[in-house]
Amino acid sequence: MKDIIRAKCLISSDVETLINQQIKKEAHSSSIYLSMASWCNRNGYDFSSEYFFKQAEEERMHQLKFYKYILDMGGTAISPDVTNIKIEYNSFREVFEEALEQEIAVTQSIKNIAARCHKEQDYVTLEFLNWFFREQREEEYKARRALELFDVIGEEGTGRWQIDKHVGQIKYDSEA
Amino acid sequence: MQNMQELTILPSVDFSEVYSTGSGSIYQSDSENCWYIDFAGKLARFDYRNLLKLKKAVYQIDIENLLLNSDKAPDLEIIFICACDHCYVLSLIQIIALKELLQGTFVMLDLNHIIYDRLHRIVA
Repeated sequence: MKDIIRAKCLISSDVETLINQQIKKEAHSSSIYLSMASWCNRNGYDFSSEYFFKQAEEERMHQLKFYKYILDMGGTAISPDVTNIKIEYNSFREVFEEALEQEIAVTQSIKNIAARCHKEQDYVTLEFLNWFFREQREEEYKARRALELFDVIGEEGTGRWQIDKHVGQIKYDSEA
Repeated sequence: MQNMQELTILPSVDFSEVYSTGSGSIYQSDSENCWYIDFAGKLARFDYRNLLKLKKAVYQIDIENLLLNSDKAPDLEIIFICACDHCYVLSLIQIIALKELLQGTFVMLDLNHIIYDRLHRIVA
């Protein structure tokens, strides 16, 4: 008897489901960043607003990368609906705290997919995920550095103005 | 499994039985790359996408909820699959039977995948 299912699709249905969930997470993440960009802009933090617009674009790009991977492997990629995006934040600092939390959640969730791939010996998807692990190093680094500015510069006086100015300059160019 | 072997020996038969229960059977056609489901009084052809859609539709039915709810509504479920010619109108008992049939089928297809890997794909 032919192995039709394997011939049609490289990834298992479990991995496909996990990646579809990841697509939803990335879409959600992108929308949250967009919302953060809006809040920062409304409150006069121009550079931070710009930073979050860029982050939103990146998350969208990640979403598409996962999306196309599923399709390339013969699976069914599901376009997610994104709801419950908050509009207001209590403080400038809170925005960055949530941004870091967001990135950590994404990293953890990709680790979870990798764990499943290990179990199934799906080395193809594992290799694909490696790109995202490198990317998450950068994303978490940037989010953590941004949050650290609040402690290094301090929010008193023109502190927030300084923080906003420095957020746009955070770069990750580690050779590690 | 024994049935499956007997059937595949016959040269004129293009169907291999994947799994069967008292209420129905699922056959695979290698030449057509599809499955035939003999259930609820009809034989229906399903290709790869439609079989997965059927699986999803059936697995999503909350059987426990249907069993426990005391509404006067008849316990019928309509399983309609987008872009597929077939549709099932099933009672709760039949849904349980179809789910059992599909679960068995997917276990057998997984097993077939493992056997195929071992026999034909992995060089010892």
